[in-house]
Amino acid sequence: MQKKMAYSFPDEVLEHVFSFIQSDKDRNAVSMVCKSWYEIERWCRRKIFIGNCYAVSPRIMIRRFPEIRSVELKGKPHFADFNLVPEGWGGYILPWIVEMAGAYPWLEEIRLKRMVVTDESLELIAKSFKNFKVLVLSFCEGFSTDGLAAIAASCKNLKELDLRESEVDDLSGHWLSHFPETYTSLVSLNISCLGSDEVSFSALERLVGRCPNLRTLQLNRAVPLDKIATILRRAPQLVEFGTGTYAAELRPDVFSNLAGAFSSCKELRSLSGFWDVVPAYLPAIYSVCSRISSLNLSYATIQSHDLIKLVCHCPSLQRLLVLDYIEDSGLEALASSCKDLQELRVFPSDPFGAEPNVSLTEQGLVAVSLGCPKLQSVLYFCHQMTNSALVNIAQNRPNLTRFRLCIIAPRKPDYVTLEPLDVGFGAIVQHCKDLRRLSLSGLLTDRVFEYIGTYAKKLEMLSVAFAGDSDLGLHHVLSGCESLRKLEIRDCSFGDKALLANAAKLETMRSLWMSSCSVSFGACKLLGQKMPRLNVEVIDERGPPDSRPESCPVEKLYIYRSVAGPRFDMPPFVWTMDDEDSALRLS
Amino acid sequence: MCMELQLGLALPSTPPIPIKMFDLNSYGYEPREALGSNILSWPLLKLGPCDINNINSSSSSSSSSSGGSRKRGFDEVVLFDENRAVPKTLPLLLWSNQPNDEDDPKDLEDNSSSAIFKNDGEGLVGWPPVKTWRKKQRRQIPDGGAQNNRVAAAADNGCGVRASNSTFVKVKIEGVAIARKIDLSVHHSFETLTSTLMRMFGISDENWKCFRLTYLDREGDWLLAEDVPWRTFIRSLKCLKLIRIRG
Repeated sequence: MQKKMAYSFPDEVLEHVFSFIQSDKDRNAVSMVCKSWYEIERWCRRKIFIGNCYAVSPRIMIRRFPEIRSVELKGKPHFADFNLVPEGWGGYILPWIVEMAGAYPWLEEIRLKRMVVTDESLELIAKSFKNFKVLVLSFCEGFSTDGLAAIAASCKNLKELDLRESEVDDLSGHWLSHFPETYTSLVSLNISCLGSDEVSFSALERLVGRCPNLRTLQLNRAVPLDKIATILRRAPQLVEFGTGTYAAELRPDVFSNLAGAFSSCKELRSLSGFWDVVPAYLPAIYSVCSRISSLNLSYATIQSHDLIKLVCHCPSLQRLLVLDYIEDSGLEALASSCKDLQELRVFPSDPFGAEPNVSLTEQGLVAVSLGCPKLQSVLYFCHQMTNSALVNIAQNRPNLTRFRLCIIAPRKPDYVTLEPLDVGFGAIVQHCKDLRRLSLSGLLTDRVFEYIGTYAKKLEMLSVAFAGDSDLGLHHVLSGCESLRKLEIRDCSFGDKALLANAAKLETMRSLWMSSCSVSFGACKLLGQKMPRLNVEVIDERGPPDSRPESCPVEKLYIYRSVAGPRFDMPPFVWTMDDEDSALRLS
Repeated sequence: MCMELQLGLALPSTPPIPIKMFDLNSYGYEPREALGSNILSWPLLKLGPCDINNINSSSSSSSSSSGGSRKRGFDEVVLFDENRAVPKTLPLLLWSNQPNDEDDPKDLEDNSSSAIFKNDGEGLVGWPPVKTWRKKQRRQIPDGGAQNNRVAAAADNGCGVRASNSTFVKVKIEGVAIARKIDLSVHHSFETLTSTLMRMFGISDENWKCFRLTYLDREGDWLLAEDVPWRTFIRSLKCLKLIRIRG
């Protein structure tokens, strides 16, 4: 009976039911049920996420999902953020836009991460999609304000333009004036990454004034402090606000005007910006602090005592990004005032200094782990750590899902016992059962990977640097971490054996990056030949890898699964380890 | 290198991804041994005892009730449990339990590209893992910006903040309106720097006594160059100024 009913549902009903299923994972599961569900699901899929733009081609995507409205794509490997991926590596969006322009005239959203976006791509977006609404570019590069001007001029229904941390060629501040005077649909604008060139302030002010639904506005450094009050008074409905430069000569009238403007923003929940902050102006935001849940001070050089005062005004804080100027004392204040804190990121103010310039140690993080019961996500740069501090953190916060610790000097042991930090990180993976992301640092032997392989069953992304002694370490991770999707490794003595012994594991993962490790060119070739669903790319700026002995380690190795086959846009320093017989086999 | 390939062996019983698993046999490779047998006899790695529990009890004796009894040490953990729901992997190389053993080529270490210390002016490439964008933004921020007023004062003196990747700094001389720029990368001691400055401003040996070399440091303070070692000077230097000694 049940079976019969299931089959009797008309497609339209199932389509309607499927429309309530939002998560990509669930949609994928639905499409696996049977052929008819697969068919119905693919016609009603509106949103797609592609974690690696080379894992599939635009044509394959379009063939399967003809009615997509929202596309999210990622390009370069994560280590590109740290200059490890040579310039010109790839990750171009243009071929995707070209294909989508023909197939998806009703495309509304494009979200890109670490991709090369040219002005031509932006102009094509502006021209091709009649109802385009959302453009989010994070860590993207290759475009200028001219491309943005095209988007502003043509996308009449644009709701969100978010440039995050993209690298934009700042040709002219006048691109903002390309938004037509009739344009009023803006909900979110983030231009914080734009250079310090002049922003057309009058255009910005008019734009803000005529968009009643504006909720998020993140300005860049070119906007001076005396303009902040003007902007806020035009948009008192703002929920997220990023200031520009937060510095001016201290004048009571400027201060009271600013404080008044902030206090009239009753919906404000998130603050960022604060470039070049003059601490004396910080009390101007105190009136809204009690409602603030997110505070990004990672570009604000505020010393500990001013940060303590600020943090104590923010009891609802859930997310704090801050420089290490906060010091242990500030983190202790945070631990006692902000009981809802979920995410903490502490960045180094002097990442290349050999000696600590501030008093920030393991103690600060231990205090937060003890005081903030909802803490889930940690990114922490510091100069020293101990095993017992890590064990404490693990025991205090078994609910951690993301734990990224960077001890700035590579291979630094527990500074008290001079032992490796294996046991400390072991405690993290043992206690934090839901850990999904982990970055290791400090002195580590193969043992820490044994702990990770044994306990970190939900780990999805692991970053490793300067760690381990042998292939055994990598073998533990690849054979033990069953949920692992992304693994990035640099400067470790992992080599061929662990990689080849776990070759098929790589097909279950999105990608593996290894640079300055001990993987030989011979092993890369073997992997490429025997694993046709893997793209094995050797990146070597020294020249063709086959000009050296096969046993010679490759500089960089990027392996990812793909249904599209080897890519065609490789620069001269990338070689794909293709099956030499592939042409034969296909014929 | 003795790289014994186990081609065509042991296709996983549950495919790790929902696409059709490729079959090496279909590509014309002959299996060398019976299917599957090697996988099932994968070595059980015998590993040392886990010392997490020891640390637990020593570091926080008060909470020792939670440690100890319920946790497993590694010697109890079967690392390659055949029953667990992990996709078994198809090895191109049988894991031998002896990583990096003697049959690894000796020249591997010599050729090893590990730990490449490239000098891009900031030491190790990509370490610490700070986003390049963040670095760029930081570069524009006056270092130690909390002392904003002082830095602002410095800017008034015509000394902008030195971009950390530039080796040129401004040199001013008291009483002369126009400043000059000097390339620090060619100097490795006070001696060569001094003689260059003397030449640049046409100061004779005798007159040099009438000048003191001062510099603006990261914190925005003016200090006497002769008071600090060369390395400290060169690291924190933002701008130079020659002042005249009066009286």
